[in-house]
Amino acid sequence: MEMLYHQYKRRVFGMAHRIVGVSDAEEVAQEVFVRVFRGLAAFRGDSQLSTWVYRLTVNAALSHLARRGRRREVGDDGLVDLPAAPPAERDSALAARIEAALSQLPAGYRAILVLHDVEGLSHEECAAILDCRIGTCKSQLHKARARMRELLGPDIAARVANLA
Amino acid sequence: MTTCDSIVSQLTAYLDGELADDDGSAVRGHLRECAACRQLARDEAALRDALRVLPPVDPPATLWAGVQAQLAAAEVADARTPRWRRAIARWMPRFRAAWLPSMPQLAVAGLLAVAGVSALYWRTHRGDELATTDLPRLPMPEIQTPHREPAAAPAAALTTRSDDVTAELAAEPARVTGSYGEVIDELTRLAEEARGSWSDERKAAFDGRLAALAATVAQAQDGRPRQRAQRSMIRFLQGAVVRDEVVLASGGSR
Repeated sequence: MEMLYHQYKRRVFGMAHRIVGVSDAEEVAQEVFVRVFRGLAAFRGDSQLSTWVYRLTVNAALSHLARRGRRREVGDDGLVDLPAAPPAERDSALAARIEAALSQLPAGYRAILVLHDVEGLSHEECAAILDCRIGTCKSQLHKARARMRELLGPDIAARVANLA
Repeated sequence: MTTCDSIVSQLTAYLDGELADDDGSAVRGHLRECAACRQLARDEAALRDALRVLPPVDPPATLWAGVQAQLAAAEVADARTPRWRRAIARWMPRFRAAWLPSMPQLAVAGLLAVAGVSALYWRTHRGDELATTDLPRLPMPEIQTPHREPAAAPAAALTTRSDDVTAELAAEPARVTGSYGEVIDELTRLAEEARGSWSDERKAAFDGRLAALAATVAQAQDGRPRQRAQRSMIRFLQGAVVRDEVVLASGGSR
């Protein structure tokens, strides 16, 4: 059990951190691991274990936001539009700017961006985790990146290069 | 012809290498010619790359201890949860064990359901039962009669069967009062037949008591108070008549 925890702790906590913010990330990660360990016996293996863990994480994080935000506006395509808590200060200015922009996205956009761009999962995996169609995933990713570009301002490439 | 709008919509798929060869070639061709779209593509690629190299977030050292504590708490909660509730929660994961009702809650719900069904049954069938127990109409006695309800209301209630259960229930008190009145009339007639063998003293006592009870009935409010007074009068008359019959049967006299 502890091996499994160490295998997934960064991915689970990182996902939770980027979707719900640093203040609630530990609570969500705890909830996810409890569900993983208690549901492991019932895991049917019809998807990869990693996909299942990601799915539990995304669902727990979005549910947490919904509880915290008391069901505010619903974002595009039914995704919950709830702000994350402000990100923690990071050493890297680039990472801080990206994290800050990420935290301002609707929760659904955050989820797809983290899954696809940060964690590097395929559209098929993202669709399985988010329980939506692949086309919806691509569309959401496109909109999420566009929103990120808006948040980061014009000429991101040059600024990213300078900051890096 | 490839337009800037179509490029923007395909940019994500293009940068992720998901476009077919000819579509990718068309996007590349447009980017060579359009500086604005080229800048947009650079920005999106830089964003994608920056997201990919975001540093991993290390969980706090307390996370594992918290997970273990929650697992322990969940196991304690399992131990305190009845097996049937755990079974339902296991087979219907959407219904978490905490949402399932406890035994006392189920018992209360069951009692309420039984009470509801009983009330419904009573409302729909009580009128029939009362109609079957109606007393026959009896002739009026010749002697002084105590107060009784006007015959019109109970007679109407006795003779008319309305499908409107609510109306029947509303008329029930008047009907009961009328029935009691008829019983009193009949018992009074029987007592009058028997009083021929009574002593003057007993006749006086009987008349005085009967007059007092009749006055109580007359002064009582409609409904249950009057019915209580009528029942007292019935008990008195029954006692007088039965006592007389017993005395006669035993061959004695009073």
